[in-house]
Amino acid sequence: MLERELLVVNKLGLHARASAKLVQLLGGYKSNAFLVGRGREVNAKSIMGVMLLAAAQGSSVVLRVDGPDEEAAMAAAVDLFARGFDEDS
Amino acid sequence: MRLVLHGQPASRGLALGRAHVREPQMHEVREERIPEGAVEAEIERLHAALDTARAELQQMRERLQGALAHELGEFLDIHQLILDDPELVLGLDDLIRTARYSADFALKLQRDRLVAVFDAIDDPYMRSRREDLEHVIGRVWAALHRSPASQTPGVSGEVLVTDNVAPAELSQLTERGVVAIITGAGSALSHSAILARSLHLPLIVGAHEAVAQINDGDALLVDGHSGEVIIEPDAEDLRRFKRQQRENARDRRALQKLRDAETVTRDGVEIRLLANAESREDVHQAYALGASGIGLYRTEFLFMQGRGAPDEDAQFLVYRDLVMGMRGRPVTLRTLDLGADKADRAGIALSHEPNPALGLRGVRLSLAQPGLFRSQLRALLRASAYGKVNILVPMVGFREEVRAVRALLDQCARELEAEGHAVAKKVALGVMIEVPAAALALASFGREVDFLSIGTNDLVQYLLAIDRGNDAVAAHSSPLHPAVLRVLREILQFGQRRGLSTSVCGEMAGDPAHTRLLLALGLTEFSLHPNTLLEVRAIIRDSHLAELRKLGSRLLRASDRAGIERLLKANV
Repeated sequence: MLERELLVVNKLGLHARASAKLVQLLGGYKSNAFLVGRGREVNAKSIMGVMLLAAAQGSSVVLRVDGPDEEAAMAAAVDLFARGFDEDS
Repeated sequence: MRLVLHGQPASRGLALGRAHVREPQMHEVREERIPEGAVEAEIERLHAALDTARAELQQMRERLQGALAHELGEFLDIHQLILDDPELVLGLDDLIRTARYSADFALKLQRDRLVAVFDAIDDPYMRSRREDLEHVIGRVWAALHRSPASQTPGVSGEVLVTDNVAPAELSQLTERGVVAIITGAGSALSHSAILARSLHLPLIVGAHEAVAQINDGDALLVDGHSGEVIIEPDAEDLRRFKRQQRENARDRRALQKLRDAETVTRDGVEIRLLANAESREDVHQAYALGASGIGLYRTEFLFMQGRGAPDEDAQFLVYRDLVMGMRGRPVTLRTLDLGADKADRAGIALSHEPNPALGLRGVRLSLAQPGLFRSQLRALLRASAYGKVNILVPMVGFREEVRAVRALLDQCARELEAEGHAVAKKVALGVMIEVPAAALALASFGREVDFLSIGTNDLVQYLLAIDRGNDAVAAHSSPLHPAVLRVLREILQFGQRRGLSTSVCGEMAGDPAHTRLLLALGLTEFSLHPNTLLEVRAIIRDSHLAELRKLGSRLLRASDRAGIERLLKANV
């Protein structure tokens, strides 16, 4: 199992479109993924789970990935967070 | 009994129809247990409904075209993800299997649980995402309760009354004959409202009591102009409706007579009306309404269908269809106008930009990706053998950019000829004037280009430093600012002096409220969506150009929006 703390750097936080990108990305991997923030843990492959976490900008979340392709999944997710979810202006 | 409700008008038009109330029955589902032996069949019934909902979303996605594909695709993506969400779906199965609830009741429980969580979020933006959830649940609900043949909601002649309507549903509802929509929530600025206006579907939003007060089967009189809904109208209401309908029909007929009319002012000056068009329907409509040509075809929509960047041959076929569709009338195609905010959807990987509006977009992106740009220019040149093609380049700010494009274009033309392709002798190259620097330094471009097209949307955004997508400041985003008028006037005068064809292709050109203003400033070529072409033509035919031009210099002296509006009103 891998675990990383990730900073939400984009302006809008983990809003719907960003959540969709994360869920779509993780959906491409076999590993299970969970997101922890504000004392809540949600399934990171669930759009509603991630939206409900509603992580605002500047907050940090912990991503936990567990499974056969956990390294690749984690690397891809870390990259997506770092790019600020390629957010619009 | 007659009752009047009020909401916010979101899309004009009058309609009389039978109320079809959607959704409240969802909340009234009774707790219902099923026998153990029926569990698997119930789960199957649920999954069949989920599949139907999935297929409907997929179908909507495929039918979207042009500008809508990109605006609405995002909503549909989120709706699809919600439908596939393990939290939602596994929870449903679980409720049916362990608690032996009916699929309907399980759906209601899941909805209530998730809505409660959404409602508990402090962030209003996120809270509004519950609408997405409601749409999806509502769709599954509808699928559970639909006999395969009947296609509810929406039967011909009905007024749909609902909490909310998803933009993606609207075109389907219109096709099925829904005559108007009333929603309890929503805003006149929403995507649904914008779409309803383009579909000419009367829409009233924010009619809070509508769902509670209106019953299925009530007769409703809907006035999308005033935002008034009359439940069970009386004889006088109906007479008024008939009268108004006759007047509207007369106006429409008068407009339809203008289909073949020339676009000439009262003092005999011909004005050119070109169409902004992407879809086949738009192109067909543009031709039928007598547009002088296509003034703006946004090629980026071809790139944003979710299948990555099309290659040269694929582009060529689309451009050629377009050119042939206009049967000899000129077609202006704009080269790719994408920035870091949208390029990924076209399969073009760009690094993240904090400020895409000021980043690598338009011609800057094209010049940075010469392989991509060359295949587009080659496709455009090949299409030029089939009709009159003009190439329009977006986001130009520097003379070097124009020169680089021209050099690449000449090179592509030479190569194509050497390869044995037919290419028109003369393909006009023009630039969008939307970057203020280009507008202010026109003289440095003048000799390099064959025509100008003013993109008022971006020009206004950059001049006023206002992002009209930002609700906090959008109210101030208006072209009626002295700076905007001055810049427009200067561009138009420059075009006239140099004999350069100059059009306006932003939304301003298609807004009948701005037609006289643009004429006064010296515009003689409008490029607009075919939806308002006849209305604008009617205004032009009713205008005296020489008198309006006199107004031009006074308009430029007005010091604010109110002053500009006063002058325009006084001179109608």
